[in-house]
Amino acid sequence: MTDELTPVDIIAESAGPKEAAVAQPAANGEGEVYSPRLAGSKDIIVTEHVDKWFGDFQALDDVSLRIKEHEIVVILGPSGSGKSTYIRCLNRLEEHDAGRIVIDGIEMNEDVRAMAAIRSEVGMVFQQFNLFPHLSVLSNITLGPQKVRHMPKLEAEALAMQLLERVGIPEQADKFPSQLSGGQQQRVAIARALAMQPKIMLFDEPTSALDPEMIKEVLDVMQELAESGMTMIVVTHEMGFAREVADRLVFFDEGALVEQGTPEHFFTNPREERTKLFLSQIL
Amino acid sequence: MSELPPIPRPEQAPLPPPPGQRRIVLPPHRQRARRPWSVRAREWIRRNLFPSPGGTLLTLLSAGVMGIMLAGVIWFVFFDANWNVITANRWLLFAGSFPREEAWRLWTSIAVVMFLIGLAYGTWSSLGRRDTLFVVLTGAFVIFLMAHGGASIWSSIWFLVAIGLLYVGYYLTIWMPRETSTRRAWQQRIVGGLLALSLPIVLIVLMANGGATTRQFDGFVLNLILAPVGIVGGLVVAIPLALGRASTMRTIKWTCTAYIEIVRGAPLLGWLFVALFILTDVIGDNLIINTMVVLAVFTGAYMAEYIRGGLQALPSGQYEAAQAVGLTKLQSMQLIILPQALRISIPPIVGQAIAIWKDTTLVTIILTLRELKGNADSAIAQSEFIPDRIEAYVFVAVVFWVVAFMMSRVSQRLERAQGIGER
Repeated sequence: MTDELTPVDIIAESAGPKEAAVAQPAANGEGEVYSPRLAGSKDIIVTEHVDKWFGDFQALDDVSLRIKEHEIVVILGPSGSGKSTYIRCLNRLEEHDAGRIVIDGIEMNEDVRAMAAIRSEVGMVFQQFNLFPHLSVLSNITLGPQKVRHMPKLEAEALAMQLLERVGIPEQADKFPSQLSGGQQQRVAIARALAMQPKIMLFDEPTSALDPEMIKEVLDVMQELAESGMTMIVVTHEMGFAREVADRLVFFDEGALVEQGTPEHFFTNPREERTKLFLSQIL
Repeated sequence: MSELPPIPRPEQAPLPPPPGQRRIVLPPHRQRARRPWSVRAREWIRRNLFPSPGGTLLTLLSAGVMGIMLAGVIWFVFFDANWNVITANRWLLFAGSFPREEAWRLWTSIAVVMFLIGLAYGTWSSLGRRDTLFVVLTGAFVIFLMAHGGASIWSSIWFLVAIGLLYVGYYLTIWMPRETSTRRAWQQRIVGGLLALSLPIVLIVLMANGGATTRQFDGFVLNLILAPVGIVGGLVVAIPLALGRASTMRTIKWTCTAYIEIVRGAPLLGWLFVALFILTDVIGDNLIINTMVVLAVFTGAYMAEYIRGGLQALPSGQYEAAQAVGLTKLQSMQLIILPQALRISIPPIVGQAIAIWKDTTLVTIILTLRELKGNADSAIAQSEFIPDRIEAYVFVAVVFWVVAFMMSRVSQRLERAQGIGER
């Protein structure tokens, strides 16, 4: 329904008095293209001058970022640099204090319906999986489609089985999360997010809580997802994934966006000293 | 037979089993279990009773103490006590001033409740052999309580009917088609609804068409009516209270906190006096109903705190995941948060239920009717039984213990049944 409207239209329409101060209407598709395959894609996520405070601590400092549809963005940065806070602002698990966030043409504001619309477009995968331990694997996945999208039960279950096939564990459908390994739980969590048929997937350190031998199975699923054309924003320390799959790397430090570029740029010739220092520590 | 193969010596490490045919090698403690029982018994005794000089001393000491106590109990139970005080006053203890000619109403209520328990068991759990034993023993106890004079045959028949209905209910739910989760959900809804209706049903059976009046609810029967109302009513009050106390809206939070703190600040007896002196003007003259309200209000305040504990024990990731999936606040509470929080708070909630079950005896004080403990007193007051007052109290204590113990057993079962998805 909002497909016909470009982000800019919506911004122009819904820019209230608060946003008006920082509004800098930009031409459609102004965001830079970091990969030839993204040529002609529209900007699906637009964030401008986003600030976030936790009490006296500034977690996000004037972050502006535009992300294209189908783009794979990997966010790097030391712990406490605001990268998790940033992606949590994108589906309003955190409320930003200043600036503007527009997801697929929907302005993020106090409106509950806008928030619901955004959450149904944006799937999220957490570091700690956060599966619902009292529900079976299948029910974990069907819950969203049934309760939010009002999908009939049988249809939701068929969809869930299809997604479990996709992440490679259809045989675990009737088990409970605690009976699965960490890698399997994380794959269920990915299936659960995909069941809402989102346009954007957020990954908040999806492999950080996993044993080394399970990291690959999760990364493989994520890579397959990337190849299928999903828009993905991934906070991770997996440099192999960043190098191979990402269209763009973004480096955060102390709440600010310090540097962004292609993987090639980052791994051969980073510009900023802080980026160089961070990469030298992590590689 | 003449030539036994040589016994393999364990000095050499056993060869790895050839692929395809695995030999089962028992660990040492399992091998020991194969030895004759006399050897095993001797080992068990040594390991558990006389493991060390200190352990031996403790065993002997506790054996001595237990022996003395047991001897005293046996002496009292079998030689010293005069249990006639119980047998002669069974009806008084059980139902007090409930009219004797209306006993069928009590029995019918018991049968209905047993049927509902059977339905509930079939829907949410399964009957094990131990449950059957427990049912039979408790049932025998009820017969013993209710049998009086020449009616004991009828008591046995009623008892068999009640037990039979329990199993009918159980097998009915097992037999009903419930392969799909939709059907199972419907079954749960129907049985849950019937359970919710059980109190009105029981009250109708007891009171309708010239039955007993609420003033005649007495003895053990009164406890059996009041306690479930207090417990279930308390839960109904507690859930919104707990959510309110965890709310971010200050007025709601403060109201709920004030409710909880005020109710917990006074003893149950104090609130029962409120039921007697204040609620009679507010709600009405029916003291039983006032008492039910007070019990629910009182229990609710305590249970709310336990449920809040459960809410706080949940990792914030559960709230976030529910939001990220797109559930509304109400949906995530109902589907994600409350089921888990309630499971966490089962043990303290059941503890509170047991407490309120025993505390229904306090109602005696305000009712000035003769209720279970009161009846023990009136049984004692009969001049022929004056020296036997201790028997009456022991009996009352045992009755309360049996029910409290049953509740704690059910609690463990609940925890296990709800623990499937334990993290």
